[in-house]
Amino acid sequence: MPEIGLNHYLVLSAILFSLGLFGIMTRRNAVVVLMGVELILNAANLNLVAFSKFNGTMSGVMFSMFGIILAAAEAAVALAIVISIYTTFKTVDIGEIDTMRE
Amino acid sequence: MPDLIQYSIYILLLPLLSFAVQIFFGKKLPRQGDFLATSLVGVSLGLSLYVAFSALGQDNFQQEWSFTWANLGTMEIKLGILLDKITAVMLIVVTGISFLVHVFSIGYMAGEPRYERYFGYLGIFTFSMLGIVLSNNLFAIYCFWELVGLSSYLLIGFYFERDSAAAAQKKAFMLNRVGDIGFWLGILILFAQFQTFNYQEIYQNIGEGKFTWGEGWLTVAGVLLFMGCVGKSAQFPLHTWLPDAMEGPTPVSALIHAATMVAAGVYLVARVFVILTPDALAIIAVIGAVTAFFAATIAITQNDIKRVLAYSTLSQLGYMVMGMGVGAFAAALFHLVTHAFFKAGLFLGSGSVIHATHHEQDMRYMGGLMKKMPITFATFTICLFALAGLPLFTGFLSKDAILAGAVGYANVEGSWAMLIPVLGFSAALLTPFYMGRQWFMVFFGENRASEKPAVSDNHHHHGHGEHHHSEIHESAPVMTIPLVILAAMSFFFVFSPNPLDGEKGWFMNAVKTPETKVGIPKEGLQSAAQVFSAIAGGEPIASENNAKEHGAMTQFSDVRQQRLAEETHHAHGTVVALSISLALAGLALAYLAYSKNIGAIASPFVLISKMMNWFNDTFMEGAFVKGIGNLGVKLSSFSGGFDKLVVDGIVNLSATLVQISGLVFRKLQTGRVQTYIALLLIAVIGYFFAKLV
Repeated sequence: MPEIGLNHYLVLSAILFSLGLFGIMTRRNAVVVLMGVELILNAANLNLVAFSKFNGTMSGVMFSMFGIILAAAEAAVALAIVISIYTTFKTVDIGEIDTMRE
Repeated sequence: MPDLIQYSIYILLLPLLSFAVQIFFGKKLPRQGDFLATSLVGVSLGLSLYVAFSALGQDNFQQEWSFTWANLGTMEIKLGILLDKITAVMLIVVTGISFLVHVFSIGYMAGEPRYERYFGYLGIFTFSMLGIVLSNNLFAIYCFWELVGLSSYLLIGFYFERDSAAAAQKKAFMLNRVGDIGFWLGILILFAQFQTFNYQEIYQNIGEGKFTWGEGWLTVAGVLLFMGCVGKSAQFPLHTWLPDAMEGPTPVSALIHAATMVAAGVYLVARVFVILTPDALAIIAVIGAVTAFFAATIAITQNDIKRVLAYSTLSQLGYMVMGMGVGAFAAALFHLVTHAFFKAGLFLGSGSVIHATHHEQDMRYMGGLMKKMPITFATFTICLFALAGLPLFTGFLSKDAILAGAVGYANVEGSWAMLIPVLGFSAALLTPFYMGRQWFMVFFGENRASEKPAVSDNHHHHGHGEHHHSEIHESAPVMTIPLVILAAMSFFFVFSPNPLDGEKGWFMNAVKTPETKVGIPKEGLQSAAQVFSAIAGGEPIASENNAKEHGAMTQFSDVRQQRLAEETHHAHGTVVALSISLALAGLALAYLAYSKNIGAIASPFVLISKMMNWFNDTFMEGAFVKGIGNLGVKLSSFSGGFDKLVVDGIVNLSATLVQISGLVFRKLQTGRVQTYIALLLIAVIGYFFAKLV
């Protein structure tokens, strides 16, 4: 069984990022889009932690801590916005919410 | 700041204060503020007298003061005040006549509508005219030049309810504009060369030969500057506005269109005199002489009392300009000053007549006013004799000096220049003739007011209805006292102890012809005047011998100017004899023609006058003025079209471009987040690929 190296982490991170991006681009439900955003954030965190481990410094870990906290705050704010959108438009389908266009 | 400069700033600003007060508060003041305006100008006059006597008492008096008005990085534009003896005399002339006109107007304008505004306009005129006199640079003189144009415009059209007045004010403004374009271009040529507007610096630069474009361009600059004078001083061919300007109230005609503003052109030529090339001076002399003669002939057949005086003013302004052109600088300024007083006297006198006859201006319906208006008659007569050039009066002294200069010029320049004294002397014969005609028609014989056709034209809307000539009586003291003062200023002893020679007087001692800065022609640079004189075979005068004979005649180092001065001096005796006889002959002919009614004597003069009138109406009014007007309309429709097509076109094109690009790019803005993210992704991937390649 080969040693788990940096590349494995990075590939996993890239897969996570692509999944998140796919979710953002294809899903119409705002909540699912948000989940995609979370996946992208966690992909970035995974990257940071992996680099930190293989560099032997703690700074990447510290960054990822900030990232997690920010993600939590973002999720709270974003969900509040989604609820607000729902009360206004009676839907969370982002395809239909395009009043900014005009 | 020296005291005199400070006083001259007060002199300048007091009339402006009068204007501001009259315009904003005039209606609320007791007597609509006429006493206030008059006394402010009176204080100005007092200060002017102090400044002038201080200045005239000193040898080579000159003071200058400047401040930086605009700092444009690499250059500064400075404005300021220049006081010298010419300025000093002009201060007295402007404030003095302005004050007398203010006083006269209290009587003349009583009860007129817009009475308070009238005094305000007089105030801003006086301010602007003083600005012209006091400025030390061409930029400021141009600004004040336009301001006097504005006040002239406002006052010509004071009775703007009358269509003819409204038309006259527009005409005056427009024709002045034509001259002012040239004036401004001339200023710009000098500014482009020297980066300064200051007279002294321009003189100095040109004196040092720093004008690098050559003498031809200097002539062009001189002629362009002279165009300002042609417009403002109503010289041929821009003269037609001045007779029409008589639509204004008569005291205004006295102040602006006889004594001061129209003389500003001559003052301007005096200010730039030293940088005028002989060629430019030749053009100036010819235009002046033509104007002097041409206007004098037209005056003979005018029936409106004011229009006679207006054409006479044109003719006298022609004399002054001619005097400048022939190099008789001091004589021309002398004539400006003497003319200012006696012509103001004549206009105010005619105002007194018009006022007494209830706004009758047609001399055919006057007559016999001598006994009814003795003071007006006496003062009018004195001023008239001064204008006619009879000895013992001021007009003789100055006109004589100019004519002597013209004869001297003709002797120096040779054959073609003989035209100038010939025209000058002809006008000297015509002047007493048409003035004599006016004198006899207005003051002698029987009163002809009853001969006026019953259906009177409604030309003068503010007439007082029926004309009862029995009511004609002398005007009030507020009107006659200014007349008496102006008449007193027309006697020779005011200016010179010798009734036949102005050279001995204080004025000619104070104002000397300055040394020209351009007159010494460089080797190989022959002026047209020299060529002409070479053709004519004018032989050079041995100037050393003459200098010994006439000790006083060595003031010029410039050969040409020195010859002019000598020839002028030689000519003086002959000219005195000739002009006295011409003046007497003119008056005698007028007596025979218009008092004895001998038609045979009048008819040749009338014939010439009719011809000139026809020429004036057909070509000057008809072709020239209308041509300028049509050209203006054409130009403006062209520039209007240019504005619509090109300027607006560019603006509209940019708007249309933005609109079209908006239509294209709004397609990208779908409002759907996913599209944006997709685009972002494409861009990022594209960037990485670009990096890889």
